[in-house]
Amino acid sequence: MNERSSRILVNGNHAVAYGVKLAQAQVVPVYPITPQTPIVEKISEFQAAGEMVVELMTAESEHSAMSACITASLTGVRVFTATASQGLMLMHEMLHYASGARAPIVMFNVNRTIGSPWGFWPDQTDSLAQRDTGWIQYYCENGQESLDTVLQAYRVAEKVLLPAMVMHEAFYVSHALEGVEVPDQEVVDQYLPVFDPPHRLDPDIGESWGNTVGQEMFYRHRRDLGLAMESAIEVAEEADAEWRKLTGRSYGIVEQYRCEGAELVIATMGSMAGTARETVDNLRDAGLPVGLLKVKLFRPFPLAAVRRVLNGVPKVMVLDRNFAPGTGGFLHQELKAALYGLEQGPVVHGYLAGVGGTNVSPTVMADWVREAMATQPAAGPVWKG
Amino acid sequence: MAEASKVVPSIWTTGWTDILNTGTWRSAIPVHQKRLAPCHVACPLNSEIPTWIKLAREQSYQEAWLALVADNPFPAITGRICHHPCEGGCNRGEYDGAVAVNALEQYLGDLALREGWSLPQPASELEQRVAVIGGGPAGLSCAYQLRRRGYQVTLLEARSKLGGVLREGIPQYRLPREILEGEIKRLLALGMEVRTNHPIEAKDLDSLEKEFFAVFLAVGAQRAKTLPQFPAVDARITDALHFLAKVSQGTVPSLGRQVVVIGGGSVAMDAAASARRLGSQVKVLALEDRESLPARADELAEALEEGVEVIAGVMVQSVVSSDEGIRLNCIGVSLAGTVPAAGTVPAGVLEPILLPGTEFIVLTGQVILAIGQEAELSGWDSVFTVGQSLVKVEANGATDRPGVFAGGDVTTMERYVSTAMGQGKKAALSMGEFLRGEFPATGGSGAEGPDPGAVVSYQEINTFYFPPTSRENKGNVAVEQRLRDFREIKIGFTSQQALTQAERCFSCGHCMECDNCFYFCPDMAVVKDASLPEHYHILDQYCKGCGSCVEECPRGAVVLKEETR
Amino acid sequence: MGYQIKEEKVFNSGHAACPGCSEALAIRYVVNTLGPDTIGVVPPSCIAIISGPQPLSSMRMPVYQTTLESSAASATGIARALKAKGNDHTKVVVMAGDGGTYDIGFQSLSSAAERNEDFIYVCLDNEGYMNTGAQKSSSTPHLAYTASTPAGKLTPKKNLAEIMVAHRIPYVATATTGYPDDLARKVAKAKEMKGLRFILVLAPCLDGWGLADNAGPKVSRLAVETGVFPLYEVENGERYTLNYGSKGTPVVQYLSLQKRYRHLSQAQVEELQAEANLNWQRLQGKLS
Repeated sequence: MNERSSRILVNGNHAVAYGVKLAQAQVVPVYPITPQTPIVEKISEFQAAGEMVVELMTAESEHSAMSACITASLTGVRVFTATASQGLMLMHEMLHYASGARAPIVMFNVNRTIGSPWGFWPDQTDSLAQRDTGWIQYYCENGQESLDTVLQAYRVAEKVLLPAMVMHEAFYVSHALEGVEVPDQEVVDQYLPVFDPPHRLDPDIGESWGNTVGQEMFYRHRRDLGLAMESAIEVAEEADAEWRKLTGRSYGIVEQYRCEGAELVIATMGSMAGTARETVDNLRDAGLPVGLLKVKLFRPFPLAAVRRVLNGVPKVMVLDRNFAPGTGGFLHQELKAALYGLEQGPVVHGYLAGVGGTNVSPTVMADWVREAMATQPAAGPVWKG
Repeated sequence: MAEASKVVPSIWTTGWTDILNTGTWRSAIPVHQKRLAPCHVACPLNSEIPTWIKLAREQSYQEAWLALVADNPFPAITGRICHHPCEGGCNRGEYDGAVAVNALEQYLGDLALREGWSLPQPASELEQRVAVIGGGPAGLSCAYQLRRRGYQVTLLEARSKLGGVLREGIPQYRLPREILEGEIKRLLALGMEVRTNHPIEAKDLDSLEKEFFAVFLAVGAQRAKTLPQFPAVDARITDALHFLAKVSQGTVPSLGRQVVVIGGGSVAMDAAASARRLGSQVKVLALEDRESLPARADELAEALEEGVEVIAGVMVQSVVSSDEGIRLNCIGVSLAGTVPAAGTVPAGVLEPILLPGTEFIVLTGQVILAIGQEAELSGWDSVFTVGQSLVKVEANGATDRPGVFAGGDVTTMERYVSTAMGQGKKAALSMGEFLRGEFPATGGSGAEGPDPGAVVSYQEINTFYFPPTSRENKGNVAVEQRLRDFREIKIGFTSQQALTQAERCFSCGHCMECDNCFYFCPDMAVVKDASLPEHYHILDQYCKGCGSCVEECPRGAVVLKEETR
Repeated sequence: MGYQIKEEKVFNSGHAACPGCSEALAIRYVVNTLGPDTIGVVPPSCIAIISGPQPLSSMRMPVYQTTLESSAASATGIARALKAKGNDHTKVVVMAGDGGTYDIGFQSLSSAAERNEDFIYVCLDNEGYMNTGAQKSSSTPHLAYTASTPAGKLTPKKNLAEIMVAHRIPYVATATTGYPDDLARKVAKAKEMKGLRFILVLAPCLDGWGLADNAGPKVSRLAVETGVFPLYEVENGERYTLNYGSKGTPVVQYLSLQKRYRHLSQAQVEELQAEANLNWQRLQGKLS
């Protein structure tokens, strides 16, 4: 495949920018926020160098950026934006609006703590708090995955007509340099057809969007949105498989790592999956039957895949770098709900690990595994790290 | 799943609201209709004033004149002497001064005479013959309207020339002879038989009825009123009727240095001003006080300018006639609170209260009595009912003798030329109905006045669309010039003055296709429709009945009608 | 009418505006002047209701309904997308109320103006949140009653036209529904320009102001003739042109038509007269 790509050394955010360039996004409304800025700076550089033809709109707020994303998308062009933390919070109203509008925007969110207090650290609470906004959500663990997932997200979003947000974490991924395969444009063009929605804001068509609806119409609209979201699982699997055919890289909507005969499976999302993969290897080497479930696609929640992987596994240890006061870790809650009623389902430990970006080393994680294997899970979340 | 993108999301709006029926919200609907302008209603001839002014405004002068002469064959005459109640009714009067309708009328009338425009010939000839007795304003107007409709008209005039009061009563400085002759000549060109020197008495009616299908009687008020204080036979005491007739014939004797005119009306002013032109010093003694003189204010002002002395609020108690002259013993009077109870005293008779201590004496060589005139109706009461000094007619001009109609001064005390012409016109219309066999048993035609709501009021005018502009009046010839002879004293409008004045007309109740109703409709429920005389129609399905079209119509040509559903 | 209105039939009958609605009248001259090759943006407001219940639109052009604060940003998205598609003919127009413009939408408007985005922004100003039952906005005039200022608003109306002028955008104009020809002319003029064009249209709310169904145009004209709302245009933040201004008509004539001012004392009427005089003087100082 190397003749159809080039390998470069870039940080995670720049890798995202390469993905956006390859997707040939036409309108990019953005507002700067640490640690998202390198994505937009790189896109600006591409534009300045003539490598990318794009309308960059420097909005006065994330709210306006998202507002512009929606209409640009409805006008029938491919749209990208990026944000983090408070910016995502400010967008909240428009996130609902975007999915209601069935606008297949792709947004990159660099997971960062939400104030107050102020912090700049990796934490997934910002995006997980948007899980009910009707957006497809992907969590990535490195720059390569982020680049590839941006392109997959466009393919899925534009097929099911729902917006998609792709995440990686602040600094650990966003600013970490790594080697990244950048596919050639023709590869991407083969993968991602020109965006040409049949319904759009176009005087030649004359259709309007957003007129007030009655109760029945609202019901129908929400039901249709739900059906589209459901269908996104299959479309996402197909998109991943197709990407593998073209580039050899694939991630699955979930990743099942060394789960055969596992007594315990670590379940996590994002950069924590890298640490967990190393921990699994170490513990397997030490003779402990441990595996990893990485949940990449969080919305729609890959219910069937999760149940398939964890059926017959005695124990799951969920590591959440996020926190919802009153319930605990997002993945912990979602996973327990997903496993409910599974006859040979596991018991679930829910550990709040690395919240606020605190370091979780493979050694520490291995200790938690041993502890979890030795104890019965608490009813609620347990603070670790 | 690839089909997901092909399914129409339920959120796109693909249809249009014009399938919705917002007309059901409404409780009233606007109606475009031609409504009555107050000038038109006030005009004794019911002239279509807004119509001809509109044409004048468009500088379609001949069309304007044709619209004008449809009701009035003598615009150059009435344009000079009409008392113009149209201007009193004009809605613009409440705003920035009434439109100078009378001057505009004169402008068109004079233009027509200069250009030699003809009255339209009847569209078809009818065989029925009609007689008009009296060639004054009422008779000529009636004859004209009958002739226009194709009837064969015979005019019977007692004197040698047509015109009546126009010729003999109105001084030439108000109505130049060439104007009178021009308009009468043009009328006669329509083709009618004229028998001058042909007085008619009551006994002639039977034979007339054999010759003619219908008869109109308009012999005017020919008998001057007298006052008992004045000697009946004294060459130095005359009446205005005879005096003015003689002046008009150019046979007036020398008046002497001092002339007194008794009376406060238009005729008194005319007599006084004529006497001034003949070189006399003139005093007018009037019963009424200065503010309530029956003469028009402009007539009074002109007389004063010309040096006539007006002594108002006085009466002559006794007259002493001698060779040295006539001594008038006068006294101040008050008319306040002396309105006679209806039916007890003849209408128009005033009961002055003498003011002791205000006595004075006037010495003069000549007295002209200008205290009114009456119809000479002796004998006529044998052929139809004659009331108190007037022929009794229905509102449509019919006497109680079938086929006989009457109008002008024999039927009214109003004594206005235009009123007489209006009666002539109205009678002609009734005679037409009579001749066609459509005549109601007890003449109802035109009996009722217009419904007050049918006339456009000032409140219905949207003055935003009429920036204030001033009224202009006809000019006056300088006084010294006026006193030299009997040449006309008023200067008619220039074309620019006429146009400026025509532009001031509100065109009350007359759609000018300004499209305001169309442009101010938030529901696009007013549609321009060239096929309709009203120019617009309302879309029943959409109109919500807000009334903006009514409010924004500058001239009250749209009304809101309540609907019951 | 001084200007010959040229309408293309974009605005439909059958819309849900109140009888006699000034805002509907304004929309007529905005969209019918712009024509069908236009995309509209409408935030929550009476305009949104007038736009029609899904699936029926009152405008034969695409209309996107957005959130209350994001009209200018939404219009930017469309304008940029059209540019990205190489479409240089389709016009984008925002039609928003005063709440969505003066208040919650002002941030995105100001920013779009600073970027000189290529669309027309029409604020249909009825001086309050009328669609929610007449609460005050920052456009509500001094001493006017609203449901949230029952004793009369204590502060003056924000002078949005001048704020927009200060952005030095290509075109700022004030207009009102009593002068539909002037409104149509301004929209036609704006249509031929590029960049951000802002038209502030005073659109009396019959219900919110307490007016008869047929009084919209009349009260609108009184606003102008009393000098309360002069009609003028400003190009590039500098060149002022007065179209219709005070005729010296006393402000009380304007106030007395409206129930929202019926609580005023004589002294308050005089205060408003003095304010109108001062504002009119200030504007005259800017005329070239």
